[in-house]
Amino acid sequence: MTEEKLEKPTIEDFSREITRMLGGETITYCYQCGTCASSCPVAKTTDRYNPRQIIRMALLGQRYEVLNGDSIWLCASCYNCQERCPQKVEIADVIYALRNMAIREGNIPALYAEFANGLMSEGRLAPISKFLEKKRSDYGLPPLKPTGVEALKKIFSATGFDKIFFKKGEQP
Amino acid sequence: MAQQEKLRIGVFICHCGLNIAGVLDIKELVEYAKTLPDVVYVKDNRYTCADPGQDEIRKAVKEHKLNRVVVAACSPRMHEPTFRRTVSEAGLNPFLFEMANIREFSSWCHPSTPKEATEKAKDIIRMAVAKARLLMPLQTIEVPVINKALVIGGGIAGMNAALDLAEMGFKVYLLEKGESIGGHMAQLDKTFPTLDCSICIEGPKMVDVGRHPNIEIISYADLISVSGFIGNFKVKIRRNPRYVIAENCTGCGECKDVCPIEYPNEWDMGLGVRKAISVPFDQAVPLVYTINKDYCIECYKCVDACGERQAINFDQKPEEIELEVGAIIVSTGYDIYLPYDNQLFGYGKYTNVLTSLEFERLILAAGPTGGKVIRASDGQKPHSVAFIQCVGSRDANKYPYCSNFCCMYTLKHVVQLKEKYKEDVEVYVFYMDMRTNFKGFEEFYQRARELGVNFIRGRVSRIFEVPETKNLLIHAEDANLGMPVEIEADMVVLATAAIPKKGTEDIARILNLTRGADGFFMESHPKLKPLDAPTDGIFLAGACQGPKDIPYSVSQGCGAASRAATVLSKQKWKIEPIIAVVDSSKCRNVTTKCGICAERCPYGAIKAEEKQPAQVITAMCHGCGTCVAECPADAITQMHFTDAQILAQLRTALEKNPEEKILAFLCNWCSYAGADLAGTSRFEYPPTIRPIRVMCSGRVDRDFVLEAFKLGAGMVLVAACHLPYDCHYISGNWKMKARMDALAPMLQKLGLSPERFRVEYVSAAEGVKFAELIREMTEQMHALGKERIKAENEKLRPVLENMLKRKGKS
Repeated sequence: MTEEKLEKPTIEDFSREITRMLGGETITYCYQCGTCASSCPVAKTTDRYNPRQIIRMALLGQRYEVLNGDSIWLCASCYNCQERCPQKVEIADVIYALRNMAIREGNIPALYAEFANGLMSEGRLAPISKFLEKKRSDYGLPPLKPTGVEALKKIFSATGFDKIFFKKGEQP
Repeated sequence: MAQQEKLRIGVFICHCGLNIAGVLDIKELVEYAKTLPDVVYVKDNRYTCADPGQDEIRKAVKEHKLNRVVVAACSPRMHEPTFRRTVSEAGLNPFLFEMANIREFSSWCHPSTPKEATEKAKDIIRMAVAKARLLMPLQTIEVPVINKALVIGGGIAGMNAALDLAEMGFKVYLLEKGESIGGHMAQLDKTFPTLDCSICIEGPKMVDVGRHPNIEIISYADLISVSGFIGNFKVKIRRNPRYVIAENCTGCGECKDVCPIEYPNEWDMGLGVRKAISVPFDQAVPLVYTINKDYCIECYKCVDACGERQAINFDQKPEEIELEVGAIIVSTGYDIYLPYDNQLFGYGKYTNVLTSLEFERLILAAGPTGGKVIRASDGQKPHSVAFIQCVGSRDANKYPYCSNFCCMYTLKHVVQLKEKYKEDVEVYVFYMDMRTNFKGFEEFYQRARELGVNFIRGRVSRIFEVPETKNLLIHAEDANLGMPVEIEADMVVLATAAIPKKGTEDIARILNLTRGADGFFMESHPKLKPLDAPTDGIFLAGACQGPKDIPYSVSQGCGAASRAATVLSKQKWKIEPIIAVVDSSKCRNVTTKCGICAERCPYGAIKAEEKQPAQVITAMCHGCGTCVAECPADAITQMHFTDAQILAQLRTALEKNPEEKILAFLCNWCSYAGADLAGTSRFEYPPTIRPIRVMCSGRVDRDFVLEAFKLGAGMVLVAACHLPYDCHYISGNWKMKARMDALAPMLQKLGLSPERFRVEYVSAAEGVKFAELIREMTEQMHALGKERIKAENEKLRPVLENMLKRKGKS
């Protein structure tokens, strides 16, 4: 029966799931005024990102569209929206919560995966090339100390970060 | 106290058709009741509340010389008044009657366990008899009524209240803080949705008020203090000096013509000017001039111009006036939020950003520009005007509430602009929701759309000024398009929030009124007593209770007048005698500085002057009993809910198998009603609770809880109205909470399992919650087990006995 399908929509499930995430608690306060969208420097330059629309879609249970699209990754974390929101929706934090959910589901943009790999293998977000090292010594700076990759790995495994991030056998 | 006569209690057990008799064993209850102390007569009826049932009570009182009557039937919230009348007709004092609720609290909520339900009913009857044995006759208190009224605030609400009361024949004092009555309405150009001229319709009303023989306007004056109670308020007012003698001033204005000094006219929102001696506007009532000493240079030109009339007196002093009134109507109105603190909209920074009230003065023909809408920066007519809605309103960081009338006055402004300048002006309205929900409002919105106003659904995030042109760039998202937009306008008008009038907190303090989270005055009940303040004899009208438009304010003014007339039209006012009484021989305030009762009383009904025993002002006491529970010396008694009566109920309830019982204190208005609803709705829950009804949870003394655990109660529940505002006695539930918050950790430290003492909040609508609560508590009690509870009680008892002994209650 079609009615039965409608009876238990996923709308509430998704927004409830978000409110249980750290940072996502306030999403349901939103009354769609658009203060965030008009305060957003990213939304001014591209129509691929609109915080109000992301919240609307999330509240309507558009789980796939929100978590699989590239939209949530475009937030520049300037917190202008959060500062100005008249309903105290922690918009930038909501976006973080959505990103965390996306990552748990394996939707990781290449750039972020690269960062994570860098951290895992080198202990640094940005790789240090021979060229950079030479530059440092030209300026009279001491060589960089080795990073505690082993310690980092321990933290990653203790917090479960490695399992979330490299769950599909992508361990470097 | 000594009992004058031997107790003779009659118990009447109602079948309520099958409502009670269908579950409970009535015969067993009758036989049981006969065994209770001092019970001399027991009778069961099919319907005790019907005429034959009531007849039997009246007959039995006479035949068996009954001096206490207990009816075991439905909830006292249902039929207590009925049976009080019955016993009174039989010649007994109505307060010698007690009700045992065996329907809502037993037969209806335990239908599948009739045996246990009957046992519970026995306990309930036994508790009622125990209380009945200690009942005392009480006399309804009567206070004389002064048939005069005070109306505070002469806006459109207060004016209507005053006029209606005056027309009914009551003397009315109309107190106005400002120079003239009229309020905000007198500042307005047109009124929505009819666009009739505001002062044209209000002016004649103001004149009526000024001329009415029963109304005395006391303007340019402040409220200093109010004491007393319903029917008998003593009011002190300070009339501030105008430096013009009201009786001599003819309002001719010759003084104004010669006065050389001008200052910004607050009536014009500072856009226009007035003279140092002037009236704020031409239609002012009373038409008495005022000298503003902050600006006056004392050149005395006005004195010369006034000449023989001799109306000017530079030595005038503030004058104190004392009044006696029977009722007070508060209609102090609202203020408009000036968003200086909101950097994003540029108010106060950019010259062409105005508030709506400033715009109102611009477009008004009698305003500073003669009705021309011009820009402050260059005096030019704007060709595009943007109206920004919800500035401060609906903003969790500022004023979370909707200000009610902004949508409509903005529609009025845009229609006025469009009709005045037609194609010559482009009009934008940035809004979130258009709230046009009264008669003719939606049609007015339609008219604005037809005139070609651009409505953009989106809240403005930022306004910038273009430095060269002083034009304004407005940033918003057109939420319907999902696109950020930027619009340039020559002028911006901010529809700012309506906020509580400056000085509202002082009025609240003087009159002992409560304010909501929004800062406006709280009504006694949001649905059924919207015009009554929680303090008897004080009524609210207009925007002081929350933002309201003109028709709503007028209705409230008339409504408040009619509410006040219910008091003023009587010679005497009757008060329920369930009030608090102080035993001055026990009161500590005589020897030490105590005054706890006076501080905790939600109504300010207790006076505790130094070295004097505390004194309850009978007519102000609402009978919550909070002071009784707070008194450290147990010097206060609440009539009809005395410590002895409640302890008797408590001890009786816990006579047998106390560790299997939940002793529940339920407040009359919410929790008891919620429990009643659980019964009426037939929500079944285990028959473990033994309820004690108190008027307010504030009455629940910590000693009651201690005594219950001393006697071995399985659990204790204190149930109250929801925080923060549901308490029917303003704040009794808060006082109870503070008390129990301190008690709970102490009991736990002594070894009590935390779940055994519980404070809960159940509203009159939460029958489900009540049933679930009792189910949950019963499960917890069973999980702990009788043995564990008994062991904890053993450990607790000596400590509790000691604590109670010290208080002399054991």
